[in-house]
Amino acid sequence: MRDFALWLATTSPSGFIQEHNTWAIPTIQSVHILGIAMVMGSVLMISLRILGLTWTDQTLRQTTARFGPWLNGSLWLLLATGLLMVIGEPVRELVTFSFWMKMTLVAIGTVVALIFQRSVRRYERQWDERIVHRGPIKLMAVGTVLIWMAIIFLGRLIAYDHVWGNWSPAVNQ
Amino acid sequence: MDAALDWLQKTALAVHIRDSLLLFPLLESTHVIGLAIVVGTVVIIDLRLLGLATTHRAFSRLGADTLPWTLGGFAVAAVTGALMFSTNATVYFHNTWFRAKVLMLVLAALNSIVFEFTARRTIGEWDLRRTTPRMARAAAAVSLVIWVGVIVAGRMIGFTATRATINQTTPAEEPNFEDLLGLPK
Repeated sequence: MRDFALWLATTSPSGFIQEHNTWAIPTIQSVHILGIAMVMGSVLMISLRILGLTWTDQTLRQTTARFGPWLNGSLWLLLATGLLMVIGEPVRELVTFSFWMKMTLVAIGTVVALIFQRSVRRYERQWDERIVHRGPIKLMAVGTVLIWMAIIFLGRLIAYDHVWGNWSPAVNQ
Repeated sequence: MDAALDWLQKTALAVHIRDSLLLFPLLESTHVIGLAIVVGTVVIIDLRLLGLATTHRAFSRLGADTLPWTLGGFAVAAVTGALMFSTNATVYFHNTWFRAKVLMLVLAALNSIVFEFTARRTIGEWDLRRTTPRMARAAAAVSLVIWVGVIVAGRMIGFTATRATINQTTPAEEPNFEDLLGLPK
């Protein structure tokens, strides 16, 4: 992976970002943070609806229809800006424990989001009448919010990967 | 002021955070979570005022649903921000991006106050309407610009304030090359 990262750093897109690094990386990161905010807002609102705390005048389907597209669109935005950051600073991202932990959680969070949205679309009535009231589903709603918060933590820890001690490739040079 | 800042960064708590391997990153991450909740909920409100989303729902209900989270997120961001500030108060206080960020937070507060005393007054007329009064749309647009600015300024603080020692009294304006060049720390 380190060899791949070092090669990636020699490619011209990477070179472009590195050359303009006074504005390129901060700009890409800022857009990434905006995407994070929109994912967080969307996931929070849907989870709060499942918990019955907000949006109670709307059905779960209506709430999901409102926030689903923004959630999915923001995930694409995060993927795009994330890719640019990996291209721009390959070693910083790809050779860290935090990054790969984060990607694992991103995969889990995304799969949960997609399966959930598809299920609500297909089984709208069952969700509103029975499913949304079930304990495990409410736990999952809280769990999803916690997963995305953990993703935020890991994202920041990429720059501090040495906190993982021996697990961090950055430490085991 | 410099004496007060110096005192702050020498307190036991500030020293403890600064010397700890894990605490500052944890504070940063919690800060991001707080700001994500603030900006996330603010965007929901602003899109409603601009007639771009949730247009079928009463603004007052939307506000009631999101406001506790906006305020809670802001409290988290403010506390973590204050703790981070304390670890290197002098450097941050003199950092241009930090000052810009504080200024923009003040503008955001002023913007919502103006909104409260203008468009919000007539909420009975436009609560259920897709198109809101001009002052409401203006406040929403200004809000979006300001909060994006807060994100940018906040990120730039990280790039322009080096992990300086407390002995440094002049502002550190050089970019943080470790972050910029992606060198492992």
